[in-house]
Amino acid sequence: MILVISLVVAILFGAGAYLLLKPDLFRVIVGVVLVSHAANLALMGSGLSRGQPPIYPLPFSDGISDPLVQALTLTAIVIGFAVTTLLLGLVVRVYRSHFAPDLDEVARAEARREAELERDEVSI
Amino acid sequence: MRPTLSQAVARLILLPGLAISIATLVKGYGDAGDGFAAGVIAALTLLVQYVAFGYREAERRIPGLRRLPVAAVAGLARALAVALVPAARGDAILTHWPPPGDSPVRLGTLELVSAVLFDVGVFLVVLGVVTGAVGAIARAAERAGGRA
Amino acid sequence: MIALAVGIPWVAAVALLFLDGRRRWVGWLAVTAAAAGFGTVAALAALVVVDGPREVVAGGWPPGVGIVLRADALGVAFAVLSSGVLLVALAQQVIAGVRSRTFPALVLFLATGLTGLFLTGDVFNFYVFFELSMIAAYVLTTYGGRARQTGGAFIFAVVNLLGSFIFLIAVAAIYHVTGTLEMRAVADQLAVVEPSTVILIAVALFVAFGVKLGLFPFHFWLPVVYAGARPTVAAILGGALANIGSYGVLRFGAGLLPRELELGAVALLVIGGASIVYGSLQAVSRRTAPEVLAYSSIGQVGYVLVALSVGGRAGLAAAVVFALVNSLNKALLFLTVELRGWLVGAAFAVGALSVTGVPPSAGFFGKAALFRAGLDAGDVAVVVLLFLGGALSFVYMFQIYQRDHWRPASATAPGGSSPLAARAIAIGLAMLVIALGVWPEPLISIGEDAASALLGGR
Repeated sequence: MILVISLVVAILFGAGAYLLLKPDLFRVIVGVVLVSHAANLALMGSGLSRGQPPIYPLPFSDGISDPLVQALTLTAIVIGFAVTTLLLGLVVRVYRSHFAPDLDEVARAEARREAELERDEVSI
Repeated sequence: MRPTLSQAVARLILLPGLAISIATLVKGYGDAGDGFAAGVIAALTLLVQYVAFGYREAERRIPGLRRLPVAAVAGLARALAVALVPAARGDAILTHWPPPGDSPVRLGTLELVSAVLFDVGVFLVVLGVVTGAVGAIARAAERAGGRA
Repeated sequence: MIALAVGIPWVAAVALLFLDGRRRWVGWLAVTAAAAGFGTVAALAALVVVDGPREVVAGGWPPGVGIVLRADALGVAFAVLSSGVLLVALAQQVIAGVRSRTFPALVLFLATGLTGLFLTGDVFNFYVFFELSMIAAYVLTTYGGRARQTGGAFIFAVVNLLGSFIFLIAVAAIYHVTGTLEMRAVADQLAVVEPSTVILIAVALFVAFGVKLGLFPFHFWLPVVYAGARPTVAAILGGALANIGSYGVLRFGAGLLPRELELGAVALLVIGGASIVYGSLQAVSRRTAPEVLAYSSIGQVGYVLVALSVGGRAGLAAAVVFALVNSLNKALLFLTVELRGWLVGAAFAVGALSVTGVPPSAGFFGKAALFRAGLDAGDVAVVVLLFLGGALSFVYMFQIYQRDHWRPASATAPGGSSPLAARAIAIGLAMLVIALGVWPEPLISIGEDAASALLGGR
């Protein structure tokens, strides 16, 4: 099980990192989401144990599963969700100001602006 | 422009999705499930509507969808209240009724414990925040002339 | 008391979310709340310095089960500094007029996150507070609302999220090998588990904090963001948020992973040295003040790393003192960048001299502590680096000063001089820098305390 989880974490992280390097902002966000899920899954995998449900009164006869990782992962998922929402909001704003959901376009717009600034400075 | 198939699926999925989410909500603590999972299920069901119909049409079809963000605030207040009432009575915060060991009031197969009240608050927060955020982003994207 | 320090800004931030931050009275309400938070943290710091560390377990749970909040010298020093910088930046923005509904609430959320992060004794809680402050910071970076800010904020958010998730994976690994998340227990456990796994964890943590700090190989996001953000926001980022990185490196590096820190000392020295040289050279070649300061930040965090690589009590104390002084300098400089008028030039000059490390400014003692640590360790490389970095910082600071403050007032300030209150804040901060330079005793002793807290934490 640990092996499967580590493989999935690796694939998720790799795919996420690949998407992060794309110029399309939506892909970048999907990349962030994938990386966040890789982290969540790693967190789940870190305390994986199989046993009785950890509900009071505890059954002392055999092992109980670790409830902590579930709580941690839930917290991390909520944080990841908040961050995704924030990024989507940011993309909308970037789009509104640059009219392009694409980093290449944004970079070109920036370069044009810089060039204008340079011209102004020279003329002064 | 929106594919008919996804609209048909969205239509089919709406009521069962909500029903499952409510079942997950009330069965928490007696069985697998809790407010967060229920909220996510319900929110996903509603998101499918958004995706299939576009936000205008979805909000026309499901009355009250636009008002859900208000539910988030109500849910937050409710969860806080459930958490703080025991504190007012001198117990640690989030102490639930009935205490462990006692058998709860039953309603058919349902077990009524105060933790479910707390979870209803969580459910409303998740649902309200998700739909509110998606709705707000959809509106903002449309204002920006986006393709979303 | 500890819970209060985190709670005050938290409750105030939530309440302020429902109010319109553009109104003046709401702004002042936020300043009051930030001041109350700062006061509580300062009082806590006084208690800690006098009585030693304090600890609270949340919710009345037994230790080991409940979440631990712990205030030791290292934590409170950073907490006091960060909430102070936030207070000053918020006050200045309120004086200048807030142009966004949520700005005051966000600053308070940031204060909550930072205070919580510096005072927590739990690794996962560290992550939660860390994300709380980072999310507030992402939104703050968009403040100003122009294309430049949103573009910068997006890059900032994506790069730092990657860092956060790497940190989260490291937390997962820590939990996997130690079975606990309480910092002291983690430190005890990490000392006995197999070294090869711990090295991986240490590298992941270092990358995560390196991204936050903007160290040389991870710096690429920093100039865009710092130079693009509004000066107040840049002051918040450079003066308060960057502390996360320094604190993280100190707490996790020296506190939890001392063995791995010693092992990686050479790597730290190389990376720190590269940061110093790269940051300073880039800063010399830049023309606008925000850009110079942004690159200068890259160079300055290099010193913290160099001090860490020297290690030992003196090295750690030097790292703490330097990190504190550096964020004070950066806050002062970013806040004065856009101000004009009588004495503002002087305030800027104080900040600049403090960065270069000329007495009588606080920066002198930061550099002096480093210097002594380097000499004690007999490390020639450190001493040479310090000289080189100091000389370069003198060049770039003088360049900005000359460009921005030596021209006739009319040429540089189209709108005349800035409001008196805003200037008073900058000048007050400058006085503080000088005061710490003239009477450095508290600063040095807190550095020593922090170092022994780190060493004793094993």
